[in-house]
Amino acid sequence: MSSQNGLVCFTNCFLPQEDGTLLEQDLWIDERRGVILNAQKTFFARRERPDKIVDLGGNILSPGLIDIQINGAYGFDFSVFDGNDEAYKSSLQEVAERIVETGVTSFVPTLITQEKSLYPKILRLLRPFSTATSATVLGWHAEGPFIDMAKRGAHAPSFLISAPQGIKSFEDLYGAENLADSEDWLMSGTLGVRIITAAPEVNGVMSAVEELTKRGVVFSIGHSIATSDIATTAVKHGARLITHLFNAMPQLHHRDPSIIGLLGASPHLYSPFSPITTKALYSHSPGVMSPIALTPMRFDSKTAISGLKSPVGSEALDEVETPPQTPVFKARSGKGSTLKKTQSIAGFSLDEPVEFTRPFYEIIVDGIHSHPNSVRLAYSAYPEGCILITDAMKILDPNLRDGVHEWRDGKRFVKEGDKLYLEGTDTLAGSVVTLDKCVRNFTRFTGCSLAESIKCATYSPAKCLGIENRKGTLRAGADADLVVFDAQGIVQSTWVKGKQVWSRA
Amino acid sequence: MRLIVREDPSTVGDYIANYICRRINDFEPTAEKPFVLGLPTGSSPIPTYKALIKLVKDGKLTLKHVVTFNMDEYVGLPQDHSESYHTFMFREFFSHVDIPPSQVNILNGNAKDLIGECNAYEEKIKSYGGIELFLGGIGEDGHIAFNEPGSSLASRTRIKTLAYDTILANARFFNNDISAVPRMALTVGVATVLDSREVVVVVTGQRKALALSKAIEEGVNHLWTLSALQLHPWALIVVDEDATAELHVKTVKYFKSIERVQDEVEASQRELKAKGKISESQVGSME
Repeated sequence: MSSQNGLVCFTNCFLPQEDGTLLEQDLWIDERRGVILNAQKTFFARRERPDKIVDLGGNILSPGLIDIQINGAYGFDFSVFDGNDEAYKSSLQEVAERIVETGVTSFVPTLITQEKSLYPKILRLLRPFSTATSATVLGWHAEGPFIDMAKRGAHAPSFLISAPQGIKSFEDLYGAENLADSEDWLMSGTLGVRIITAAPEVNGVMSAVEELTKRGVVFSIGHSIATSDIATTAVKHGARLITHLFNAMPQLHHRDPSIIGLLGASPHLYSPFSPITTKALYSHSPGVMSPIALTPMRFDSKTAISGLKSPVGSEALDEVETPPQTPVFKARSGKGSTLKKTQSIAGFSLDEPVEFTRPFYEIIVDGIHSHPNSVRLAYSAYPEGCILITDAMKILDPNLRDGVHEWRDGKRFVKEGDKLYLEGTDTLAGSVVTLDKCVRNFTRFTGCSLAESIKCATYSPAKCLGIENRKGTLRAGADADLVVFDAQGIVQSTWVKGKQVWSRA
Repeated sequence: MRLIVREDPSTVGDYIANYICRRINDFEPTAEKPFVLGLPTGSSPIPTYKALIKLVKDGKLTLKHVVTFNMDEYVGLPQDHSESYHTFMFREFFSHVDIPPSQVNILNGNAKDLIGECNAYEEKIKSYGGIELFLGGIGEDGHIAFNEPGSSLASRTRIKTLAYDTILANARFFNNDISAVPRMALTVGVATVLDSREVVVVVTGQRKALALSKAIEEGVNHLWTLSALQLHPWALIVVDEDATAELHVKTVKYFKSIERVQDEVEASQRELKAKGKISESQVGSME
């Protein structure tokens, strides 16, 4: 039943606002163009009002959820490519069409570290894409291979590399055309995003951050042991995201809070303290991996999984031993300082206040990958930067029952709610939580309102990616990708470009 | 003139909304013969709008065949500015009811030819055969629409400079920045309001008490433009208890007695009409 004049009015509903509040207000959309309307302008200038009225019975009408880190779903692993373009595309489309049942209307397929030759092939297939009934594939998120050996998680160690030639190394790996300036990359002005998770302390990476950012690529700090200084410098060079906070990074140390510490950075003044570590973690000299990265790794049963051809398991949780990293202070003095150049760049002094924009941070809110207290701690420190992600593995499927399921290579896994184990072990096999559940969990963990939680899965990711005029908001002109939640945060229906594509029957 | 006293702003709003609802339904408007309604902005009419919205949502009233004319609009304020009267009307009323947008008229304060805009507005009102019922509110200085103290009581739709009081009062809507408050407005004139067949004015709150007393207990005076209502054959003022603070006790008592008589007569007329004995349903003022 469509509207005669193509306009639809959602009424009797609450709209989550960009400031995290809820407003009881109607929303007008144009179901033919699939966009949200400026209702007042439509009324006075176009002299039209919607023919069709949808009464939402007091539910919440939210922008569709956006998942910026998801490895696969419904049995399809975005990182597995067998050379058949069509098969890959149709599997991707199937995921995009089915995932709307979780309230997700946009997502960024995430590739974990691959063999070098696969990148240009897979990334070429991950151009922005959607069908009339599917969620939008926004682009790609390449997690690795420029990551730190010490925090590689489930990423295959043999594929990790450094970037001795800076941006050129990135181009060589991902394919120059995939890293082209955003307009050349898209060639049609459509919406598209590219995210690269890398460790800024890996040789050559820091020097590429600025150029990547300039080309419209979102640089995300992750799988890294960057010191506070290095992490800060990366942000000053343009890094605007942290990959799955708390996971695959040093734990919070009060003397050198490292990447996590960025959440506590003052937006105006930077501390004059310049903590350094006993080891030089970041080197300018080309061609030399950081000493840490060269540290021989111990392989135990836990890390053995990384040796699989196509790595599986939760790289977020699968930690290898962090190298000794007890930070010490050294007095800052002009002469004879052992500080390196970059460190003094990062170490602002109090008499030269600098504007500092803290990066957004991804957080997995399944109650397993981050303890509820940690989630609340991060959110309290920097609510504006919080982005909920699933980081889900290919077995994500809300319809999958608990029990033993076939996996691959003769292995089986046991699903227990949102926990996944390799059969016969207590090894967590990755995240399988849906984003709508993360939204609900988040309100429980932090005590925030549902609208604030929704913001972390809609507006905040959109803002991080710079697409908040099109996705993740209810602004006039934005795509009419919508989710109806009841007061408990349960998805009631999902709308894509103005049309209902899923509903809880 | 009749004066109806109710307990508080929300019961005042309910009274007026029910009154307008009955008038529209009795009128039996059609596409050819729409009910022409004049509408105000401001805080006083909000409870009335809320009550009207509820009547529409409950299916007791439809505005499908209602044409509206708004009283006024600022000059030079973008139409989608949060303080424009376009925005007010859409937010508080039009977005919630079933009125077709083509039947809504609001002066365009951004018209190139402001005088032409005003004249065209008057013409358009005439083309519908005039306004059936004009709902209004008043300012603390007794102004109706933007007809500030000193306005001609014979005035028609025109450009009007806002009184300093009004600018000060409006500054709170513009971050208390006096310089941001528009200095001019387009407004229907006092005569435009008086031309309508019926005028209903809502006056609530202690701060409007003096203006009410000046308007109904003293002579017709252009310094209290609402007082021109004394010359109108069919005027209704609905007030809350607070707004009566400056009135004489006997004034209030007198009007309360009118209300009873009016109710009785209107009831008997409705009965007669139902039995088909009379065709005219509108009683007019019993005063």
